[in-house]
Amino acid sequence: MTVPTAPVEEEEKKPEKGWPPTETKLGIIAAVLGIIMTILPFMPSFVKAIGLTFVLVWGADSVRKTSRYGLGTGVPSIGVLAVGYGVIGAIAGMGIAKVGGDFTIGGVEVLNVGVLGGVAIAALIGYISGIFSNSEKFISMKIPGLERGMTELGVAGTLAFLLESSMVAGTLKLDAVLEDVFLSGAIAFMFVMSAIGMFHPFNACLGPDEDRGRTLLLSFEISGLICIILGIVSIALGAEWLGSSSLGLLNAALLILYGIVVWVVFYAKFVRRSFEASYEVVGTGLIKTVK
Amino acid sequence: MPFEILFGLLLLIAFLAFVACFFEDAESDCGSQSNPNSQVQLAAQIGYVHRFFNKAISGEPLSNCMYATTACTVTWVLLRQFEPMFPAEKWKAAILAIPLGVLAGEIFHLIFATTAHLGRTSGQSRFQQPLYLDVFYGHLVPIMTHGFMTTFCITGIAYLQANLGTLSGIPELNHPFPLPLLGFIWGITVGSIGSSTGDIHYGTERIFQDRPFGEGKRVVYHGMITRYADCGIRTQKDIVAFCIKYGCPLTGMTFGMIILFENWRTVLGMLGGGYLTAGSAAGAAAAAIGIVIGLVIGIALILGNLYLVRWARKRYGPFVGE
Repeated sequence: MTVPTAPVEEEEKKPEKGWPPTETKLGIIAAVLGIIMTILPFMPSFVKAIGLTFVLVWGADSVRKTSRYGLGTGVPSIGVLAVGYGVIGAIAGMGIAKVGGDFTIGGVEVLNVGVLGGVAIAALIGYISGIFSNSEKFISMKIPGLERGMTELGVAGTLAFLLESSMVAGTLKLDAVLEDVFLSGAIAFMFVMSAIGMFHPFNACLGPDEDRGRTLLLSFEISGLICIILGIVSIALGAEWLGSSSLGLLNAALLILYGIVVWVVFYAKFVRRSFEASYEVVGTGLIKTVK
Repeated sequence: MPFEILFGLLLLIAFLAFVACFFEDAESDCGSQSNPNSQVQLAAQIGYVHRFFNKAISGEPLSNCMYATTACTVTWVLLRQFEPMFPAEKWKAAILAIPLGVLAGEIFHLIFATTAHLGRTSGQSRFQQPLYLDVFYGHLVPIMTHGFMTTFCITGIAYLQANLGTLSGIPELNHPFPLPLLGFIWGITVGSIGSSTGDIHYGTERIFQDRPFGEGKRVVYHGMITRYADCGIRTQKDIVAFCIKYGCPLTGMTFGMIILFENWRTVLGMLGGGYLTAGSAAGAAAAAIGIVIGLVIGIALILGNLYLVRWARKRYGPFVGE
């Protein structure tokens, strides 16, 4: 039997041109971008989409952080858990904003800081469940950094859900979001695709030669796909932007364009890097005879 | 007359469920998702370089949920555009909207299948697992076509359910959930059943084919499933051809029977309680009769299963060693 060559000791690959940033740096960039895009709901959808892209990448990085200690089949569950926190946090946030923290000028919602209350709630739930999972007295999973990972997942999930809602409904007012996102059923697509955007990268690239930079490219790509479909959905709902439906159409068209560009660029990049990283790319071939 | 149409539609839903889960199992065999995936992942690590497609999008429930939800969302968007064209016969809009929506879902499926295979293969480069391009391209069309059948049937079920009342002439039977949400729920369901029933059959039929009953699986056999087929080197296409005989129909039957029993008890309850004629005033009686029939079916299935397990243990006995 041919024994494979002994695994080479893990060498930390040097990041090329600053990519990927360190985990903390990526988290700070994504959180700041995501929060700015969330609290300013009047911005065009494709700008919010930039925030969404970074938030999903951050979520994927958190899933990777949480799962690389040996979770195999559990990877998808972590992503779904994040979006589960996200839905709770987002609804709570929009409810809080209804009471206060929502500023509207001339019918257009310009600033909504109330939703950050929901982000905080999701972060708290994430942290508490991280403690429960790791604590000796409860589940005792003892995964290093689980508390931090779960907190980040809560925040990323909530921000992703809020950004998607505000892209489709054009606002973060609870009534409008309930009408356009929940009753229309778009919530189902948002839920499953945000979860996939967070867990698919690590689930798809899992293996001893997994590379963080390559894995995170996938998350960019998925955010492009989400933007394309959300653009189509917001056209179908006849979403308005700044109170005008023709501007709303332009807004959605720009979102679809952003999605296509992001998808093409990062998909091509991922395929190229995977081909480079593979042991060998061959047209066809037989398998090694083992005896 | 509406009762007959209603019964017909519910039987159609059960039939679509059978076809959906049949193809779901075949599709997961095309790309080694879920249970067989662990063998494919393991094979390279213990030296068995293989020619299998590693479609690790996620577990089957979530990935099927993703294709079905995407398909239903796009279908829903298209229905909103097409339905005003046929105000009297809205069902005509579905003839074009459903296939186009499913196509969108399957394009997503294809994209995720490619990224999963490339990601997993490049993540195993130290085990000298090459990326065979003929395996990569050759499996994409079977994956997409089998997936198309599943997603098409699921979207069809979701559409029928959402419009059950309009189609059968009893308006209050329209499902309160919107189309994408129904697609979400049915997608998860078809994936779970394909994963639980289908994988067991894949395993029992293929991995344990020539092992004594009850032996379990020793480490030396790990990854063997990826090596040789009845003729030549095995790829997933052999697995599909193999499973289509027993595994796929059985998986389809599981899902089809669940839907059939569920629909049957609901309709019998509605008929018995008088819901279909008296309307929501008879809701409580209809629900009570439906629940009782459901319990009877559940108990009968449990007893049947117990008998079957007893019989199998008696007939084949425990593993006694070599």
